Amino acid sequence: MKRSITRSLAAVAATGLAVSLAACASDGGETTEDADGPLTVWIMGDSGANFEQLVAPFVEETGTEVEVVAIPWDAIDERLTTAVASGSGPDLLQIGLSKLRTFADAGALMPLDDHLADHPGLAAENFPDGVADATKVGGETVSVPWVSDTRVLFTRTDILAENGIDAPPATWDELREDAATLSARGDDQYGYYIPQWDSPLPVIMTWTFGGDIIDGDGNVDFDTAEFAKTVDLYTGLYADGSVPTNSDFDQTQGFISGIAPMLVSGPYLAKSIADAAPELDGKWQVSLVPGDTSRTSLFAGSNMGVWHNTDQPNGSLDLLEYLSEPETQLSWFDINGELPAVSAALQDDALVSDPLVQVYAEQLADSHVLPLVPNWDGATGADLLAALNAIVLTGADRDQTLAELYSKTEGTSIN
Amino acid sequence: MRRGTLTPYLLITPAMLLLLAFGVLPILVAALVSLTDMNISGLANWSNVEFIGFENYVALANDPDFWRALGNTALFGVIGVPSIVFLSLAVALLLDRSDGRIARALRSFYFVPAVTGIVAISLVWGYLYNTQFGLFNWVLSWFGIGQVQWLSDPWLAKFSVALVAIWRGTGLNIIIFLAALQGVPREYREAAALDGAGEWRTTRSIVLPLLGFAIFFVTVTTTIAWLQFFDEPFVLTDGGPLGATTSVSVFLYKEGFRLNQFGYASAGSLVLFVIIATITLVQLRIRRRDEKP
Repeated sequence: MKRSITRSLAAVAATGLAVSLAACASDGGETTEDADGPLTVWIMGDSGANFEQLVAPFVEETGTEVEVVAIPWDAIDERLTTAVASGSGPDLLQIGLSKLRTFADAGALMPLDDHLADHPGLAAENFPDGVADATKVGGETVSVPWVSDTRVLFTRTDILAENGIDAPPATWDELREDAATLSARGDDQYGYYIPQWDSPLPVIMTWTFGGDIIDGDGNVDFDTAEFAKTVDLYTGLYADGSVPTNSDFDQTQGFISGIAPMLVSGPYLAKSIADAAPELDGKWQVSLVPGDTSRTSLFAGSNMGVWHNTDQPNGSLDLLEYLSEPETQLSWFDINGELPAVSAALQDDALVSDPLVQVYAEQLADSHVLPLVPNWDGATGADLLAALNAIVLTGADRDQTLAELYSKTEGTSIN
Repeated sequence: MRRGTLTPYLLITPAMLLLLAFGVLPILVAALVSLTDMNISGLANWSNVEFIGFENYVALANDPDFWRALGNTALFGVIGVPSIVFLSLAVALLLDRSDGRIARALRSFYFVPAVTGIVAISLVWGYLYNTQFGLFNWVLSWFGIGQVQWLSDPWLAKFSVALVAIWRGTGLNIIIFLAALQGVPREYREAAALDGAGEWRTTRSIVLPLLGFAIFFVTVTTTIAWLQFFDEPFVLTDGGPLGATTSVSVFLYKEGFRLNQFGYASAGSLVLFVIIATITLVQLRIRRRDEKP
């Protein structure tokens, strides 16, 4: 009797040891047993149903169920806060690039560097130059590019031609001149539109003047000659009377009605125009953003990351690799219209046969990611817009306002 | 005997528990959080949270944006409270003069804004105010008046946003005044009429004094509502243009939920709480002094 108790104690001890060994192994992040159950994926916006269609082949092949949760863009901050606070999140999630740093700082994302060797599909060389590097946070890979988005110049070719402009402007000086010509068409007519909420636009302008808003040490620095040129351009367009000053101007309506026949915007505008005014087909076009030194635009879009304490890291990484396959990326473009992030998919012949996509792909090849400062939307970007708009809308003193911007953003760093 | 003393406490226990759980406790938590540098990484891992004493309050006092939000809130209150009290009282007095079908229909009509969703309201008013396509500017254009920037001009936007809130806030207060008017005894009016008082004199000397408590109640609740002013600027302008319509509540929301500075936002919300409590206490004190001359 006594012996059997000893034996069962030994068995319990052995099991305990095995369990703790397994726990050690999972800490190392090398070989882990996944928990059972479906993989939960957070997809932004309203494309949840499309995403289920996209992963159907993966589900069939691996037998792993995928549960898709569609999160409205507006609700993402609240969802992140509750998920971080409660410690329970999804397995895989889509992250808009402007939110990436916030997510990473909150410790919500699993570092992927140790896993890249096992999953060659996630390696940096699969994506356009520098994008994977630029989306590292603190030197760690915490996500991989998923869909891409950029900004290009939209022009109403019919209106430009009527006013003696043959080609879309290639430099900002040309654009300013053309915009002045177009706004001379009459009262309440404009040449160009600057969205007052568009914080990447001044950054794009700075890039195309050959500058950057980040100095060599990774700190935000607006006190440069190139940014000064950007301020000249931004305030100049307002001073010329070439852009509307009301904040509730509707860019789609403005473009369709011809009130503002030129603007820099993303592929989503092309979709809105095609939906709202199919009769305009052939009367508008997209082209690379204007630029003096370069024609560099914004690399926007979304990345995919693995939730930090997922109990199915292997399954999540497999799904992530499946999503990064060129075929998956191309079928996502077919289903949902979002541009691929993988270079091989971006060069696909069928994809670039669309003249719009051809411009997007060309623009994506020369585009930068916004610097991953701790909070672009809420802090740095908001301060930048507040300063520029104060100068143009309320006539604030330029030097003083810029000095305030410099001191406000001083010490903000991407590191 | 012992049971008799316990019963009242037993009866108020549910209410007290609710008040403690949803009223007092959150304030205490906010007070505690306001002494820390709590942000989103602190939420993920409690060891990232540090007590920083009154630094948040010092930072608030030095934050020009916070002072601006306080100034905006004060302006909103100064415009909004008298407008709502005066307008709803005037409409209620007029509606009370008749009990006909039209008057009853009008009563529901005035109440509609109070029960309509704020998002629907903001959509409709957004279209009315729109610079290019809005109804207001279209009507003004008949008279040769150029485009008015209702929500884009930093000064005009304050009034545009306040107007929507006044329009939305009158409905409920009209109902309160109408209910109070039911309580004015007919005998008093008849006595006044026998003494030869006209309509205007009766209203001023009989009806308004009897409505004293209703007017006080509406003033206090309206003041609190305007100090917490949030919905209209949030949905119509998001606090813009350039912070012109940022009330304290909008400021706190942005600090807390867009910048994830929970400690800082908690400190601000405590300051707002103290301001509201002080103003309400002052109002109560004035009222009490008026009651016992």
